[in-house]
Amino acid sequence: MADASLSLRQRIWNPEARLAYILLLPTVLFLAAFMFYPIVYVFIMSFFRTNKLSQLVRFVGLGNFVDRFQDPEFWWACLRSLIWTAIGVCTKFLLGMTIAVLLNVKYRGQKVARMAFIIPWASSVPISALLWQWVYHPAFGLLNHTLAATGLWPNPPGWLGAPLPAFGATMWVDVWIGIPFFALVFLAGMQAVPKELYESAHMDGAGGVRSFFSITLAGLRELILISTLLSAIWTFNDFNVIYILTRAGPANTTNILITSVYMNGFVDLRFDWAAVQSVITFLILTIVSIVYARFYFRQENA
Amino acid sequence: MRWENRSRWIVIPLTFILLLILLFPFFVMLSTMIKAGSEVYSVPPKWIPSHVEWSNFATVWVQYDLARYFIASLVIALGATVLNTLLCVPAAYAVARLRFPGRKFAMYLLLMIEMFSPVIVIISLFKVVASFHMLDTFGALIMLDALFTLAFNTWMMNGYFKTIPKDIEEAALIDGCNRVQTMTRIMLPISVPGLVTVMIYAFIFAWNEFLFALTFISSKDKMPLTIGLYNFVGQYTTQWQYLTLAAFLALIPVLVLFYVIEKRLVAGLAGGAVKG
Repeated sequence: MADASLSLRQRIWNPEARLAYILLLPTVLFLAAFMFYPIVYVFIMSFFRTNKLSQLVRFVGLGNFVDRFQDPEFWWACLRSLIWTAIGVCTKFLLGMTIAVLLNVKYRGQKVARMAFIIPWASSVPISALLWQWVYHPAFGLLNHTLAATGLWPNPPGWLGAPLPAFGATMWVDVWIGIPFFALVFLAGMQAVPKELYESAHMDGAGGVRSFFSITLAGLRELILISTLLSAIWTFNDFNVIYILTRAGPANTTNILITSVYMNGFVDLRFDWAAVQSVITFLILTIVSIVYARFYFRQENA
Repeated sequence: MRWENRSRWIVIPLTFILLLILLFPFFVMLSTMIKAGSEVYSVPPKWIPSHVEWSNFATVWVQYDLARYFIASLVIALGATVLNTLLCVPAAYAVARLRFPGRKFAMYLLLMIEMFSPVIVIISLFKVVASFHMLDTFGALIMLDALFTLAFNTWMMNGYFKTIPKDIEEAALIDGCNRVQTMTRIMLPISVPGLVTVMIYAFIFAWNEFLFALTFISSKDKMPLTIGLYNFVGQYTTQWQYLTLAAFLALIPVLVLFYVIEKRLVAGLAGGAVKG
């Protein structure tokens, strides 16, 4: 008995472990105050009615959840989040893969092209969103002018003013920011695939398309999984682009789950509703990030 | 290889077209920022201005007080960088090198927090910040900006420490250095590239941060660039020539810094399959 307690004590309280805890302490305290406590508080808040100053007024149990679940606008926001994330990630993936394939060919200026492709990711998101707002301007914006003048689209819509074009236009900005990440990851993965594989495939009579699918994509499998999960989380979480371009309008048509948290809270001053949406978003994100962490560690150990 | 030679004739034009599309907003920025006000609002809009309006440069600095926003952003970003580094380096060393119960759990947690969106806690963070009497202060932004890159940077630094052979450290320990000395004299000097990466990452995050500044800063003299520029647009007619010029100036530092860390960043995010 004494022995067991001693070994346990030794395991937790030896000089090495003690140093580790001391080194971790500031970070842990910091995370506790500004991340863990706020999460707990959001959960508490979701069970209370709140006033306009976000103070807890009275306990309502699951009342807020019932409220939100009965509001069609909540389900619309969920649906928009789903569409936003699904179409967004697919588009980023396809364009990112295309760019990676293009960059994987050596020519003079390839390095410059690579740097140029990174710019949308490297650029500051709020500033990019502001630039796009000007690009999309219905009367003076150069996008519509260029589309009309070149005949590519003689009568383009006023992008941010009408529901469907606004959803598409904001989604495109999010996609546009996310493409380079995929391109860089895939390019790095492609460059790690041994050249001999392609040569022997060529000898065996496999064409370019065939060897792309059976060698390149097969070699990238793990990377594809990890980067897609990561991109899905980022896309799902994109608040800045929507807030800056449309403030979730017109008429809530660009309001997804993550923006509805902010709009419910700081615009409608319904902090209890915001808390419910925070809790739901938190649970969704936790599940996806557990999957990401799993794959990440599996790949690290492989 | 012959395939590669032929494919260039497709690859180069395609790359060119894609870049034209993807860099479109930046071409618009470059075109607008040198226009005179009258040409910004001309119908139809023109790509090439009739003359370069050099006075725009003076106007954004003087009339729009761009310097003040720059200084605010700089103070916040540098503060966040320092705080973040001070916290993440010791934590990363512990996770990378020391054995202690809960180490696995700590690594798992770090990777998960990385994915966390600040929006989820923004309503309760407001209460926390208010209870510390830090609403409308640089301090609040410095702390929060440092916090939300902490997990990722600890993770990156941990990865970097792990690449340093244990022998070097053990030799120092045998020579009579203690753990703290091995860290400051041996590990940190070797880790300068890793350190630079996490510092730049923290700086870029804080420089680009929007949500916290939007929520917690109310007085004009404390607003960073992102919010300052956002508020430009709120006015009745936006003077886009000034806004795009300010955007251009605000983008330069982050673009330069991003190129320094881009490869390590991708490697850190995607894991072992990508070499940094």
